[in-house]
Amino acid sequence: MHLDMGGQIGKDPWFITGISILLLLGFLAVAGPFLVPYDPYDISFSPLDPPSADHWLGTNDGGMDILSELVFSLRNTVIFGITAGTAGLVLGVITGLFSAWAGGWADQVVMRLADVVLALPSVMVLILLAAFFQPSPVVLALALACLAWPTTARGVRAQALTLKNSLHIKAAQRMGGSGRYIIARHLMPELFPLYLINFAAKTRMAVFMEASLAFLGLFDPGEKSLGLMINYALQYYYLDIWYNWLMPPILLLSLLIMGATFVTVSLEKIFDPRLRKTV
Amino acid sequence: MHIWKKWLTPVLVYLSAALVMAYASFRLPTLLPGDFVTAMYAGSDVTLNAEQEASLRSFYQDTQGFPEYLHNLATLDWGYSHAFMAPVSQLFLQALPWTLLLMGTAHVLSTLLGFFLGVEAAWRRGSLMEKAGVGMMTVLEGIPEICSGVLLLLVFALSLGWFPAAGAQMAYADHTTGQWLVDVALHLTLPLATLILAYLPGNFLLARAGMVMVLESFFVVTARAKGLPPRRVRYAHAARNALLPLVTRFGLRFAFMITGALVVETIFSYPGLGTLLFNAIAMRDLPLVQGIVLFSAIMVLVANLGMEYVYTLLDPRVGHAS
Repeated sequence: MHLDMGGQIGKDPWFITGISILLLLGFLAVAGPFLVPYDPYDISFSPLDPPSADHWLGTNDGGMDILSELVFSLRNTVIFGITAGTAGLVLGVITGLFSAWAGGWADQVVMRLADVVLALPSVMVLILLAAFFQPSPVVLALALACLAWPTTARGVRAQALTLKNSLHIKAAQRMGGSGRYIIARHLMPELFPLYLINFAAKTRMAVFMEASLAFLGLFDPGEKSLGLMINYALQYYYLDIWYNWLMPPILLLSLLIMGATFVTVSLEKIFDPRLRKTV
Repeated sequence: MHIWKKWLTPVLVYLSAALVMAYASFRLPTLLPGDFVTAMYAGSDVTLNAEQEASLRSFYQDTQGFPEYLHNLATLDWGYSHAFMAPVSQLFLQALPWTLLLMGTAHVLSTLLGFFLGVEAAWRRGSLMEKAGVGMMTVLEGIPEICSGVLLLLVFALSLGWFPAAGAQMAYADHTTGQWLVDVALHLTLPLATLILAYLPGNFLLARAGMVMVLESFFVVTARAKGLPPRRVRYAHAARNALLPLVTRFGLRFAFMITGALVVETIFSYPGLGTLLFNAIAMRDLPLVQGIVLFSAIMVLVANLGMEYVYTLLDPRVGHAS
């Protein structure tokens, strides 16, 4: 895997487009809450106002400033995606590496467990959890990570198994490197591209999931989230609010998922040697 | 002997997954602290009388064991929905056909179309049309169902008025069979289009990638060298080998598809499981939420197990391996 991936990826238009979209949205999510003039929970404005100089996107049914709401929603959705993506990646890498390195019955147990978790439809488990316990979004993100690790674990395990038999690892073992040393020094860094792909794919899936769950009404109705905003705006479709209330969260959500998709597709293309030929 | 060995692992895996779901559904309500029946229904649109409250409490907190719970599930005794005033199983079975119609049609159409387009694209690799197609599909892959669904609803139902905006058929209409079919098809169009837009890109990209790899193998070169007509090389020789990744990925995509279908049904108020679930959540009707979640999950598991079987049928190598 020691190839000039950096140079290649910098030239891929999909990657450039995707990462630019993500950086832009990331900036909005981080800095936006400081830039917008109102508190998104402030209900002191007259409800359902069309856009004006004071409220660029108007106000919603509760008399909240839609632009402020939008920025905070974007931030929450991004936080959910990154939390679930990171936690899922860490879990998957740990179990995958452990499974590959330990081998034998430990490997069997972990991989069969992965099969069972993979078979569970994660959205159903999340709906059940959300309906009964009404947990905070962070807890839901972590629960999603607990359901999403098997795909990463499988990929990491497969790659680690081939690496395990390569010459330089054998050499490191012969020279007396401990298991922990070899995993940390050789196995883990060399699988880096795999982490990138998995993180991008998981985050994309989590954002999609968050929007869907929020849209279905499984989040605290007081939360700010792009899915919830679409849900609320859609209830007022008969008013003329589609361009200032309904479209903005739809556009942001699409852009977010599109950016993540472009990056994932591009990374997969460049790092998967089999797919590389298909470009 | 051989057959047993081959099927033991997948059957065990899916069976344990089903048991995990059932156990979670059995155990979660009892883990809630305090008198959750009062707590849950306090914030709900449903007002319970003393008798209903007692029945709910006994449904959740009686001392029945897990085996008995499983027995109840198997005999369609899934509790009573106080929001809809009907047994949960009855509501579920009423909604199920519409979901199956919507998801089944969407899946079959998007797979066939994606496969065909993917194969043709791989065959024309490098041409302008192929590049445009791949670009368009990648962009489409980035648009979630929530967004495309709402857009289609706004444009074609609310603004242009070409298609109905909600429901699956005209209520109380006196239709002949032919009129009824047209009516159902009209109602189906928009949700179906949304789902196809969502599923098609994945199928297309996968079929194309698989086909590109297959086209490079020697047997395709041989087939071409023999002078077979291109269409025969494409479909009889190459494409059937490119079909496999499409089938393997099915299981992984299935959970996504369920999420998508739930959302799309809600957007178009299509009277399937998604809308039922949405209403149940909105009214905090827990037995109904539980029933829908558990049985959709089991349907997913059964479908995936079925796909494993189809996979061995399509690729004998899988059966011979291990």
